Amino acid sequence: MDGSLLEVKGVSKTFDGVVHALDDVTIAVRQNEIVGVVGENGAGKSTLMKILVGVYAPDKGELYYRGRKVPFPKNPKEAAERGISIVYQEKGVIPHLQVYQFLLLGHEDKYVKLSRLQIDKMKKDAREILEEFHVKCDVENFMYELPLSTQKMVEIARAILSVRLEHGDDDVTSIIILDEPTAPLTIEERRGLFSDILEMKKNASFIFVSHIIPEVMEFTDRVHVLRDGKLVAHYDLSKEKITEEDLFRAIVGRESSEYIYKPEVKGVVSEEVVLTVKDLTKNGCYYDISFDLRKGECIGIFGPAGSGKSEIIKTIAGLMSFEGGGLIVRGQKVKADELPHFRLGRGIGYFSGEIGKELFLNWPITKNISIVSIEKILLRMLPVISFNAERKMAEKIVKRLRISAPSVNTDCYSLSGGSKQKVSVGKWLERNPDILLLEDPTIGIDVGAREDIYETALEMKKSGISMILVSDDPKEYSMLCDKIMFIKDGRIQKVLSPEEFGKVMAA
Amino acid sequence: MKILGSNKITPVIIQTLKTHPLIIALIAFVVMFSVLIPARFLTPLNFSSILRLFVTYTLFALGPTIVVVIGSLDLSYVGIWMLGGVLLWLLMPILGMLSILVYPLLGLATGLLIGVIQVKVKIPSFILTLSLLVTFAGLAAWLAGGVSRPVREYAFITAPLIPHLPTAFLWSIPIIIAAVFIMKRTRIGTYLYAIGSNEEGAGLAGINVDKYKILAFTLSGLLTGIGLIILFQHLGGSAPVELKLGNLVWPLAAIVLGGTPLVGGSGGPHRTALGALTLAVATQGLYLMILLPEVVALLLGLLLVAAIVIGTRGLKGVTIT
Repeated sequence: MDGSLLEVKGVSKTFDGVVHALDDVTIAVRQNEIVGVVGENGAGKSTLMKILVGVYAPDKGELYYRGRKVPFPKNPKEAAERGISIVYQEKGVIPHLQVYQFLLLGHEDKYVKLSRLQIDKMKKDAREILEEFHVKCDVENFMYELPLSTQKMVEIARAILSVRLEHGDDDVTSIIILDEPTAPLTIEERRGLFSDILEMKKNASFIFVSHIIPEVMEFTDRVHVLRDGKLVAHYDLSKEKITEEDLFRAIVGRESSEYIYKPEVKGVVSEEVVLTVKDLTKNGCYYDISFDLRKGECIGIFGPAGSGKSEIIKTIAGLMSFEGGGLIVRGQKVKADELPHFRLGRGIGYFSGEIGKELFLNWPITKNISIVSIEKILLRMLPVISFNAERKMAEKIVKRLRISAPSVNTDCYSLSGGSKQKVSVGKWLERNPDILLLEDPTIGIDVGAREDIYETALEMKKSGISMILVSDDPKEYSMLCDKIMFIKDGRIQKVLSPEEFGKVMAA
Repeated sequence: MKILGSNKITPVIIQTLKTHPLIIALIAFVVMFSVLIPARFLTPLNFSSILRLFVTYTLFALGPTIVVVIGSLDLSYVGIWMLGGVLLWLLMPILGMLSILVYPLLGLATGLLIGVIQVKVKIPSFILTLSLLVTFAGLAAWLAGGVSRPVREYAFITAPLIPHLPTAFLWSIPIIIAAVFIMKRTRIGTYLYAIGSNEEGAGLAGINVDKYKILAFTLSGLLTGIGLIILFQHLGGSAPVELKLGNLVWPLAAIVLGGTPLVGGSGGPHRTALGALTLAVATQGLYLMILLPEVVALLLGLLLVAAIVIGTRGLKGVTIT
């Protein structure tokens, strides 16, 4: 490829000799462009970036810098010598440093004179770089005082600066990897950050790692799609015209036959409304969300990451507060800042597939299941836990969900990902909440375990439990939901039946 | 029920030793001192000295153990001892024998206060309880006029009942059992372990995290207060008005040595009792070897470091829970 600034060819990487994290991946970055790298969780995006900045060594592959073959970097300093630096998704900022201290952190040796730091010179250089990239803040501000989007900008400026300092050359073009840079930002802040990045493009190239499709479509020049460690697609957005749906299908790689709606397994939805969401608003996350959830119904909130779907379900669970509108549970209005335990008292349970979020990893299966139903295992006369009843309760769930574990007394940290998830969802079988919120219920587990979780969810649904689903996997929506709401930029765009949803996804 | 055959008991013993490696250390200490200094170590007098030390460590450490389980720290116990001792002396002429109830009441009030402040203001419990400890110590010294004030009326509490067996030890048994029972067999205990193990998960499981945190501190203060009814006389029938580091450190050491990690979520009062016993045996044994007190402190410190390392890293892949 002519004019490539950086090119990685045929990179492969396996972990433990088994898992193919990357398989023969080739990508190139040209001068002054933004290259997108997209894919699902576990597609290999992070592994590739870690190879580029010298955290991992690849098993195979070549690296070309300005057409010249160079060895892969062994650490971030060597990466900077090859012009590459990274801005991590989070935890990159040191809040209690002033902006100039943070910008030049690690490069103080260049500012030492008579074993003292030349503070004035540091501030002057910092000021220059901030001006160059139009970052609106003072070098004497503390990092924590800045808005999140400005912090990101300072981080990007810092990455560019570190490349220049390692090169000892101000004219070098930096290649900055942005790892999901917008994750912590609100919708408005994202806009601002992107216009600033487009401005910076004049002086640098970017590799933009993300799974937020609209952002990638809008701001990148070319997109590489990774799936299961392989490069499955490459689009030049300036030449080809593709839709968001095209890109989505390339990322998830599913066949249309998988979107089959089976009404007979979903059970009957009654007319009784258990939850009313009315004009629910949280500024910067979602706006004017309204819907009714009926007994035995499952509503899916579907949209790209960052659309606000996760915030909506977290709000209903009590993990976030809302600012406008209202939640009415069984005819009762609830307070905006009610904590999860109050919501559970109202019959709203929450299940997330994120490992460790709700499991007590150092506890045996028995206790992880009984924790939400302690009333059921107390002795009849005294408020004392019966270990016998606790064990029987756990054994029932383990059998029903086919959880593979040596015994119900096995500690949860030693279980497989799928078993952990099953324990997590299994405890709700015993508790029987009115409403169960499912957030990414099958993230990171294998196909067989997924089927078991779906089966359990459908069974609970049939028994009259209402559900709200948020996921990255469209297949889950068509399997579980009676109604799917499309959400974008925090607003409901349209409401589809599962058949219509299947058609849209398969089209 | 039939008596279990030894083939069934053996694996249980092995499992217990694996999860409680301190038992091996305890046995090793007993054997070591019995071999090295049999004439001084294997005596009824020493036996009762060890139990006395055990009572002191355990009764101070039981309450704070509950707080450590939720991942916080409660250092107020010495403060309750000191302030309560002076209040006892002040109240004695007015209330008579009932004045001893000042301990459980002061403990309860202190725990509740710490709990509420901790939950509402969200400051680290270490700093909060340390400040309160210093405040109580200052208040105690001021009220007492700078000298330790003895109260003689409660000598009957520790009056000998069985030869060589300290009566305070007998009294401490029901308190230890109650603490273990609360933590292991009740909803409160289960919820406190849950909070220490995974606070967000506890909230999602429907636990009112703030309420149970306050409860943990209150329970800690109350247990300390109840223990002090015995400890007051056990420690000489007067409370000091000067803050000493040793009083503060050794109960904490018993908790850590027992294997309740300071991050919370596991361990508990039964482990603290085991830690206190091991610490008592080691301390007493080392003193009897006629080592310099400084050397004893040094060796006990090293023992503690070893216990923490083993407790954190596990022994041969077994996680200590």
